[in-house]
Order: sequence, then C-alpha cells, then structure tokens
Amino acid sequence: MFKMRLTFGAAAFAVLACTAFAQAQTGPIIIGASTPLTGGVAHFGQHARWGAELAIAEANAKGGALGRKIEIDFQDNRCNPAEAVKSVTLMLSEKKYAAIFDGLCSSVALAIMPLVERAGVPFIVANASATSIAERSGVGGNKWTFKVNPTDASMLDALVGWLDKEGKAANIAFLGEDTDFGRAGSSGLEAALKKRNQKLTMVDFFQKGTADFTPVLTKIKAKKPALLALYAIDADFQNTIRQWYSLGGGIPLTGRVLVDQVPKEIMASGFLDGTTSVQPYDPSLDTPANKIFVETFTKKYNVAPMLISFESYETINILIDAIRRSGNASPAAIRDALATTRYRSILGTLLEFDANNLIHNNAIIFAIKGGKVVIIGMSKT
Amino acid sequence: MDLNFHAQLLLNGIVIGVIYALIAMGLSLIFGVLEIVNFAHGEFYMLGAMFAYFLTANWGVGYWPTVLIVTGVAISLGYVLYEALLVSLRGENFERSILLTLGLSMVLQNGAVFLFTTTPKMTATGLSYSNIIVGELRLPLARLFALGLGLAAFAALYLVLYHTRVGKAMRGVAQNRDAALMVGIDPRAVSRLAVAIGIGLSGLAGAVLAPVYAVHPLMGFSFVFKAFAIIIIGGLGSISGAAIAALMLGVLESLVGGFLPLVMVDALAFISMIAVLLLRPQGLFGRGVRV
Repeated sequence: MFKMRLTFGAAAFAVLACTAFAQAQTGPIIIGASTPLTGGVAHFGQHARWGAELAIAEANAKGGALGRKIEIDFQDNRCNPAEAVKSVTLMLSEKKYAAIFDGLCSSVALAIMPLVERAGVPFIVANASATSIAERSGVGGNKWTFKVNPTDASMLDALVGWLDKEGKAANIAFLGEDTDFGRAGSSGLEAALKKRNQKLTMVDFFQKGTADFTPVLTKIKAKKPALLALYAIDADFQNTIRQWYSLGGGIPLTGRVLVDQVPKEIMASGFLDGTTSVQPYDPSLDTPANKIFVETFTKKYNVAPMLISFESYETINILIDAIRRSGNASPAAIRDALATTRYRSILGTLLEFDANNLIHNNAIIFAIKGGKVVIIGMSKT
Repeated sequence: MDLNFHAQLLLNGIVIGVIYALIAMGLSLIFGVLEIVNFAHGEFYMLGAMFAYFLTANWGVGYWPTVLIVTGVAISLGYVLYEALLVSLRGENFERSILLTLGLSMVLQNGAVFLFTTTPKMTATGLSYSNIIVGELRLPLARLFALGLGLAAFAALYLVLYHTRVGKAMRGVAQNRDAALMVGIDPRAVSRLAVAIGIGLSGLAGAVLAPVYAVHPLMGFSFVFKAFAIIIIGGLGSISGAAIAALMLGVLESLVGGFLPLVMVDALAFISMIAVLLLRPQGLFGRGVRV
C-alpha cells in the first residue's frame, strides 16, 4: 500500500514538474522593469514605460518572440536606489524574468548592477547616463549589464569638442542636481575640458526637489561665466530656467539642457540665444524610422515622445531582438545574444555593443538661435 | 562681489522668507488652537497651486480672481476637513492626529499624481515673465505680489487674532479649552474656524506661488518640513514667531546660498531648529502661550 502511494506521489510530482517546465517554455517571456512611477521624476518614468510598452505591443503584434508573448512588469523605484534594490531583489528571487530593464536614474542603475550580476540575469540600461555604468560593465567587470544610451562623458566630449572649435570652451560654470546624474555631468565636463587645457570656473550642486534657486543663480550671475552648464530635469529644470530668466541671467546655457522643455515665452524672448546642448535624440530628426515612431507614439498616448520614451523604445527593441536570437530565452542565452547585437537605430546608425557593453550611437548637438532650437550637428559618441 | 550682489541676495531672502511665512502661519494657527500637527498642510498648498493652474490655464481666469477663488475654496475645504476628520481630535490624541494627517497627506499626494500626473506645470499669467528692475536689482512681479499678499495675510491674521472677538475666542480656546467653554465660547466653532483659516492660508500660498514655482503633486513636500522647523524655531503655536522665524530663515538661506554650496542651505532650517531646541526649547518667540 505504501509502495503504491509512493509511486502515485512520484507520478503526480513528475506531471506537475513537466507542466511547470512546459508552461515556462510556452508561457509569456517576462521582462522585469524598475522605474520611477512616483516621486520627482515620475514624469520621465511614465515616458520610459510608454516607450517600452509601445515596443512590446509592436513585437507582440508580429507574433512576440520565439512563438511566445512578451510581457513587461513595472515596479516603482521613486528614483531611489534603496527602493530599486528592494523591488529588483524581489523580482530576481521569483526567477521568472528573462531580463531586467533600466532603472532610469543613474544611482538606481548602479545599485541594480551587482544584483543582476549575482543572479545571472541580463540588465539593459536605456536612460541612466552615468559614465561609471559602462566603466563597470563588460571588460569592466559586470558581464550582465548592457548600456544602450551614450554616457555623459562621451556626449559631453562631443559637445566640448564643438564648443572648443567655436572658441567657447573657456569660463564655464556648472550647476547640477546632487545625484549620480549631476555628478557624472560635472566629472564628464571636467574631463572633456581638461583634454583641451580648460577647467570649470565653478561647480555647485542642489538637492532634487529644490524650489528656490535664486541664491545660487545670483551667485553664478555675479561670477560672470561665459556659459552655464545645467544638469537639471523635470520640475527642477522648470524652476531653474524660470528663475534664471527672472534674474536676467544673461549667460547662455550648455551641457544637457532640455531645450524642448523650455517655456515657450522664455524661448521666444531670445533670452537663451547662444545656448548649446547635447542630447541623444530629438523628435524632429528627419529619418523615416523616426517619423513613424513619433507618429505611432503620439497617436497612442496623445503626447509627443521625448528622449526618455525614444531610449526606452529602442532599448526594448534591442532586447527583443536578442531574445529572438537567443533560441531559448534563458538569461544566459539572452546575454550572449545581446553581446552580438547588430541593430539598425531609428537614427539610421548600426548599433553594436563595445567591450564595455556600451553602444555608441550618434549624439545631437543643438543650439538656440533667434528664439528657436536648431540642430547644428551630429557627433559619434 | 559688489553691493548689488549683496542687495540682490537680501531681496531674494526677504521674498523667500515671506513665502515660507505664508505656509508656516497656517500650520502654526492650526497647532495653536487644536494642538494638531497637520502633516497634510503641504498638500493643501499643492492643491491650491494645482487649482490655480487649472483656473488660469484651462479656464482663462485672471490672476486676482484666481487668488480669491482658490482661497475661498480652501477655506471651505478647511471647514469640511475639520467636521469630517479632525472634530474628534484633541491635544491628548497627538499620535492619532499625526497618523491621520500623514495618511491624508499620502492620499492627497497620490490622488494628485493619479489625477494630474507628475508632469510639472507652469502657470503663465501676465505676471510670470515680468520684472521690476531698479539699477541692477531685479524682482519678478509674481514674487513681488507674493511678498505683498504674504504681508497682507499676516496683517489680516494679526488683526483678526488680536483685535476681534473671534480672535480673542481663538486665543482663549488655545490657552484653555475648558475655561473657554465655561465662559460661553464654542470650542468646536472656534477650532473649525482656525482650521478653515489655516487651510485657507495654505490655499492662498498655493495660488500666489503657482506663477513662481513649477506646479506638481510633490511641491508641498519640500516646503512642509521646512515649515515645521520654522514653527518650532518661532515657538510652537506663535503666529508672529512663525512669521519672524520664516523671514529670518529666508534671509539666512539666501545669504548663505550666495557664498556656500547650495546643498548646505537645506540643512540650515534644521540646524537652526536643533540649536533653538537646545538653547530655548519654547522657541525664539514662544512664551508658553499659544496663538
């Protein structure tokens, strides 16, 4: 009797195990994502989500990957590394995620990196721009992290190269948020200037969520730099720009200025004329693939895409391409497939990861002339 | 660094101080009368700014009508808030009041994220991009109006508290609720009015500051903790103390921010608060008597 029960139990266990295995092979391929859905940069997190979801919807409309549907599971990190570590650790412990997508904020991405390395799950970075992410990836140590967007250092090198040619690289002041994003901007700019025997005139950082910038802006104005490199996003950017205008700054901006988010009254006034900026993307780029992307995105979400939505869209497409080529959607196979990526970007360039698992797409250099934003060139990062 | 630089810092500091005072006075009044620390105070400021944004941007209402409408709605909201949630709370329910107002803050903040998204909104009124320029000194018109309305609000509140029967009743309830009841003052009506004025002041602050700062659901957060520090520095429950401490902090922050790294400025309010708690626990202007 006991023998019969044991046989029955073993058979039941085998059936369950087979069912689970079959389900794992036929069920959806799930990507885990950690992004700020609440908090100070939730606006960007929302665009990251929209971009990623659009790419997945398009892939699923074409049959998914390896005959399976693709899903993405978003967890909120509030742009806080501690929150991200908590949610990503939980995701990784469930062992159902084929890859982890982004983090949006540089501090968050840097905090996720050791987690995915220990768990052996690919981590693909779309938006976080800190140079140290790439420095620590691939030959830098972490074989599981891949970074699609350019680093701050590479973009700023392109920008400073252009400023230097124009004779404008001297006497630059820096103001940025006190995060890995701002700190990477400062060190990237310092490094790019040092190559050209220049240095920053002054450096200051602010806490995210600061409302009043008038003390520091008054200080910067009094120092009379030739350019002010600004590393601020979201509400911080809006507050800085408006207060800079009301103080009559009179000094053009540079760095990663969000030229598309400058209030139209300030832009039209010509106050920011002479401003230069470098960004990996602009919705107005005239390529056939970009036109389709902008049109589809705008139709679906009733709002035009921005840099963050583009980067997320392109990164998820690169990940899906790797999943399709992996053969079995296992984390290790996806990692190997990512390493051999050859993907045609919306910007028209052919993308491949280098030894540091970093892609070198083109960066776009903008200027504000006569109250309008103009693209003045593209430079390989 | 010339005289203009120092004068501009001082001017900026005075404006920032009055802005802080506008938010801190309401908080101080509610604490003074009800002994409740309203953790949702920043959210009422945010809702005031959000409402002002929609009135001006979507419905084309002018600046002054917007300020009046938002303040009126905030006062009504204060009445409802008191009757619906705060009526059963007393000083001895301090923990309950913290949990309740903290919970309310979360509900309001996340509700605003859900309804309005976190996209920062810029209120563009006729004042938004105009400046008063005297020599090399510049003062945006929107900040000048904030300064004027802040001072007017303080003067009005002072007059109500010290020169009207209602104000006397409020001070009576703040000092001894039971004694006030014995002499015929209705503590419930007085408390309701105090909450309505307090929330009204935060709504007014939101409407006045909407053209000054980016409007978004998290904007109250950065101010409310500073406002707590201010009312402790000024003396818990002292309206004049809160206003003077706010002005002092604004000027101090601006002057320090003009010379030292900006990240150090945020710590000033809390360093000052700790110093005051150590040296004069009742606050700079606290006399052990509230309001």
